[in-house]
Amino acid sequence: MPIQVYSLYIFDRHTQCVYSKLWHAAAAHQQQHYPAPPSSSHNAHPPPPSSSSSSSQQHHQLSTSQHQQQLPPASQHQATSSLTNGSNAAAAAAAAVAAANARGTVNSGSGGNYHMTSARAADDAKLIFGAVFSLRNMVRKLGGDDDAFISYRTGQYKLHYYETPTNLRFAMLTEPGALSMRNVLHQIYINLWVEYVVKNPLAPTEHKGGEGVRNEMFEMGLDKFIRGLM
Amino acid sequence: MNRGILALIVINKAGGLIYNRTFGDGLNQLNTNDYLVLAGTFHGVHAITARLSPVKAVQAQQNQQHQHTSSSTGGGVVPSRPEPPSGLEVLESENFRLQCFNTMTGTKFLLFTDTLQTNANADVAMRKVYDLYSDYVMKNPFYQLEMPIRCETFDRKLNSYIRELNSSR
Repeated sequence: MPIQVYSLYIFDRHTQCVYSKLWHAAAAHQQQHYPAPPSSSHNAHPPPPSSSSSSSQQHHQLSTSQHQQQLPPASQHQATSSLTNGSNAAAAAAAAVAAANARGTVNSGSGGNYHMTSARAADDAKLIFGAVFSLRNMVRKLGGDDDAFISYRTGQYKLHYYETPTNLRFAMLTEPGALSMRNVLHQIYINLWVEYVVKNPLAPTEHKGGEGVRNEMFEMGLDKFIRGLM
Repeated sequence: MNRGILALIVINKAGGLIYNRTFGDGLNQLNTNDYLVLAGTFHGVHAITARLSPVKAVQAQQNQQHQHTSSSTGGGVVPSRPEPPSGLEVLESENFRLQCFNTMTGTKFLLFTDTLQTNANADVAMRKVYDLYSDYVMKNPFYQLEMPIRCETFDRKLNSYIRELNSSR
């Protein structure tokens, strides 16, 4: 029986989305995985605009935070220095603000559709993680520590969940009528993740900075496997 | 031996817990504070799950196309508003199954059953519980909306219905 699979998200034990892929018709024009943008702790090194892994919204956040960081030293400088220096500092601050604003607008403007969709995918990944994490904790509280959250269904879709003992979390969205896909997620973990990602000596064990899994063998195998189900 | 319906929780439209009762021993007993937290958490998660719908975009497109074709054929069909996405309806775990019914006014009924219950079974039970709620809570002139449900008749009727249901299985 063919099953319509909408998307798959993989989260590592640091709650970061390390892999996501959409198979849905509405997302057919963006057949590429979108790793989540780096979390706020990694904001010290903003990725170049061309890397396009982070959202335009986050660029806005970055630019505003830079703006806030740059203002206090400038105003201090202004207070301690002479009038001419002060006006220089003010001009510098104004330039910094303008640059920050320009950067924000340029990125959001040039990003266009691509940034919008990638931002949406990243937001979705975060929302899915939040929902799944809360439900898992709820289930464990009510059903005991040995209980495991399997799936939930709404009128529009069904989310299947599988968690490994190492807190690697798989979430798959399918059509609402699908049967349990737990074994499918288990197979993905055993036959694809372990084989191609874990056993790859070049694959990083941690995915800091939202780089995500970029493993050709894994992606090809996964795509083939999922398309076999549909 | 845990079977049938294990617990009922009612959450008001603001995410507050207004009723909770356990019928079997299949679930861990939580204290009141934990139930309040659970109700609030579920309320939030329910809103998120409604937003996550991946078919939203396609449905909207189809709806537009449908409107377009209907208007081009000259039929005076009023364009129907798309169905709002429903949030979480059924949750499954290894030890229990949770059925959620969201009323038109935003009150949520959470029915915890064992994993063997079918969809239809839980739906019937949910409908009956909602009937009891409408009859003995909403028609109670002393019940204040959105406040905790303290209606003796509701308690009694609910208990007898669930006991009957659980013993018949």
